[in-house]
Amino acid sequence: MVPTSYYIALSGILFALGMIGVLTRRTAIMVFLSVELMLNAANIALVAFARSWGDLTGQTAVFIVMTLAAAEVAIGLAIIVAIFRKRETTNVDDLAAMKG
Amino acid sequence: MMIAFILLGALTLVGGVITIAARNAVHAALGLVGTLISVAGLFATLNASFLAATQVIVYAGAIMVLFLFVIMLLNANQPISGRDPIPFVRELAGLGGVVLAGAFTILAVSYKDPRPVAEATLALGGGSASVIGETLLTRFLLPFEAVSILLLVAIVGAVALVQRPVPQPDDVPDSEAELLTPPVGSAISRGGSQPVLQHQSLQHRNDEGEVRA
Repeated sequence: MVPTSYYIALSGILFALGMIGVLTRRTAIMVFLSVELMLNAANIALVAFARSWGDLTGQTAVFIVMTLAAAEVAIGLAIIVAIFRKRETTNVDDLAAMKG
Repeated sequence: MMIAFILLGALTLVGGVITIAARNAVHAALGLVGTLISVAGLFATLNASFLAATQVIVYAGAIMVLFLFVIMLLNANQPISGRDPIPFVRELAGLGGVVLAGAFTILAVSYKDPRPVAEATLALGGGSASVIGETLLTRFLLPFEAVSILLLVAIVGAVALVQRPVPQPDDVPDSEAELLTPPVGSAISRGGSQPVLQHQSLQHRNDEGEVRA
């Protein structure tokens, strides 16, 4: 049996990788890919805690998170396609029209 | 079990590094596919067999196909060149990531299982579809219904966001249409003018599109 803490550490490292990606990548699609990494890191932690506590709540939550991720990707990519049609770019630095 | 964890964990991290470091967007997406499949394997080692299958089907299958489709549709697989508008953003992000990962690792090491893992694993029932489904339709009935509404909204939203404005047949202003209309009575010119009119209106629409872009 692999200890739960190993899984949590792996999840934390993967989350940090995703965070670095979100902060450094400049194409909207790459930012999205990094967000998916962070979601998966959270999923690993949830499933590891579900095993640790012997409770299925964590696994059910992961199922709901997967559905959320699918919806988020569908809407997000639709927004990216719409923006690309209008402005011919997916560079997040150029899309600062809503900057306060 | 330990060997499986080390292999899958290493694959997960390698895929993650490829995802955030690859210059080409398609390579990054393929790295993420590797990560997702490794995570499915990790789910399997954690007695979550249904989630492992769902991860492969929904994530590595459907979501990543959508990603690759959009990357190729937008031809966005070239990296953006030029100077970063924020100074030292890479260094700062790397530092922040190392600090975050270190903090998580320290937290993880200090975590104590509330009861023996072998005993707790038995209560999961292997994470099969039947036990997950039972939890989903009893304790999580309200989130389940909320998610179904969310999916409906996502479908409608995605369709509404990417649809092009429907071209109207009478888009051409009246003055232009009059110019294009041949003199009444000349049958030959009338027969030939129809494609010209269509061509003109297409041209008009293209001009509009360019202005909008």
